[in-house]
Amino acid sequence: MTVRGVLKTLSPLFACIGLLCVWQIASLRLDTESSPTALEAIKAIPSILGDKGSLLNILDSIRRMAIGLVLAVMFAIPLGLLMGRIKAVAAFFNPLMMIIYPVPKAALMPIIMLWMGVGDVSKILVIFLGVSLPIIYHAFQGSKAVEEKMLWSGAAMGMSAPMRMLRIVLPAALPEILTGCRTGLVLALITMITSEMIARQSGAGNILFNSLDMAQYDTVFAMILIIGAMGIVFDAAFEKLRLSLVRWSQPRDDMPLSFT
Amino acid sequence: MQVVSLRSDAHTDAEPVSGRKSSGVDSAAAMIEIDHVSQRFQTSGKQSHLALSDINLTIEDGAFVSILGPSGCGKSTLLYIVGGFVQPTDGVAKVKGKAITGPGPDRGPVFQEFALFPWKNVLGNVMYGLRQQGVKRAEAEARGRKLLEMVGLKGYENFYPKELSGGMKQRVAIARTLAYDPAVLLMDEPFGALDAHTRTRLQNDLLDIWDRQRKTVLFVTHSVEEAVYLSDKVIVMSRSPGSIKQIVDIDLPRPRKRADLLLDARFQKYIVDIEKMIDDGGKDHL
Ligand SMILES: Nc1ncnc2c1ncn2[C@@H]1O[C@H](COP(=O)(O)OP(=O)(O)OP(=O)(O)O)[C@@H](O)[C@H]1O
Ligand SMILES: [Mg+2]
Repeated sequence: MTVRGVLKTLSPLFACIGLLCVWQIASLRLDTESSPTALEAIKAIPSILGDKGSLLNILDSIRRMAIGLVLAVMFAIPLGLLMGRIKAVAAFFNPLMMIIYPVPKAALMPIIMLWMGVGDVSKILVIFLGVSLPIIYHAFQGSKAVEEKMLWSGAAMGMSAPMRMLRIVLPAALPEILTGCRTGLVLALITMITSEMIARQSGAGNILFNSLDMAQYDTVFAMILIIGAMGIVFDAAFEKLRLSLVRWSQPRDDMPLSFT
Repeated sequence: MQVVSLRSDAHTDAEPVSGRKSSGVDSAAAMIEIDHVSQRFQTSGKQSHLALSDINLTIEDGAFVSILGPSGCGKSTLLYIVGGFVQPTDGVAKVKGKAITGPGPDRGPVFQEFALFPWKNVLGNVMYGLRQQGVKRAEAEARGRKLLEMVGLKGYENFYPKELSGGMKQRVAIARTLAYDPAVLLMDEPFGALDAHTRTRLQNDLLDIWDRQRKTVLFVTHSVEEAVYLSDKVIVMSRSPGSIKQIVDIDLPRPRKRADLLLDARFQKYIVDIEKMIDDGGKDHL
């Protein structure tokens, strides 16, 4: 690897270290109780992850997030693809989505809690709602953009309409769909934490706010670090998967926008 | 470069091709019939545009027919109607006596825009039709490789469409359609993006395939020479509205040899005559 290559690979790491340094210096200058230094926050991480209760809470959060995300993907991709190819489906769902899209899904949380309690179902539902829309939108765009002659070629080979949907529209729209999924993944994390901040019962968001209530500021900041790291790891892992699936569509020298 | 041809032993369904002729009743020889076909398109601003006006045409089974005409005269549209991709606003198109209601594997298109599957590599594209029709992987692959060798793309099996030049994409598209062995080939300027050498070679290969399997070919081109060289019949179209201006029977002996034909006075006369027809059409609109 060239020097430039090494620098490029390590650049996200430098960015992290840089941010932590800025934090460290700023908190040392501020020197108030509510702003622990970066080092103090990092030192608090092992005690959180070492605590069985906290760890289970965090894993529980991830589980809810994964369920919501998977359900959303399974629902949103077929719907988006159908909307892109069948005018009637688009005509029916488009106005509906236009109304739902700008509503912050977390704002629905109180109503959903009223109906379904503060348990898993409410939180998973909110994650599902938050994640579905961007994936539907991207699947719709990708499906709409599929070159018609490609579908004609398939039809001439004797492929039925459902077959063409599965074997031509889906792979052709995959790059766009996966872009939607990447947005969806990050949104899932955000909605997960938000839902736990509202329905204070368990999870990573709950730990965060409990420690805030108890003025354990190093734990608060440690949790922020943990949640942030989770986001970075999930995103990087997904990006790896995405690239391996759509290498055929990548322009030759793409701008790197991720930790790859 | 060795030219590998597509032998009929490469696929088992070569027999029905010759047996086709006896299957029809009174329209035994007609493969494609186009009966008072018109096509009107809605354009933006509530206007409509007559792309094809009252086209009548019969193409015999096993005939090689070329379509010539100025850009926008409806050549592609006519091909799409025969392919079943577009339903004409008026009239009927029939294949083997049956009205065309949609696409089918008996009519194989080669589109002007190639329309390759970008997520499949070259070999995957060529095998695609066969795989969809349930042909075993090994068999489809063998046939795919043979076809790629024929179109001069041996060694490019694992390339993806984005990694190919325009001419190479075109050759993949041709191989992809030939792979599932349609009785009718609908070719829309298939050699347009090729260099002169490859073009000549593929013309000869196409004649070879056609000679051996007697496919019916409907071939759109902008090259008068190519049309005369390949065809039994050349259809000259004019524009606004798209209509058939003249049909020229090309009465040249087969098998044709390019080198001989270029010196043949009859060949030259066909070219000059047809060029004149197209030119006259051009003047109408200037
Ligand atoms: N989907 C469509 N909607 C509206 N107009 C169309 C559509 N398809 C074709 N046309 C019009 O019909 C006419 C014929 O188009 P067509 O593509 O068949 O021409 P062509 O003879 O194949 O031209 P070229 O030689 O440039 O490929 C053109 O005037 C075009 O604008
Ligand atoms: Mg055209």
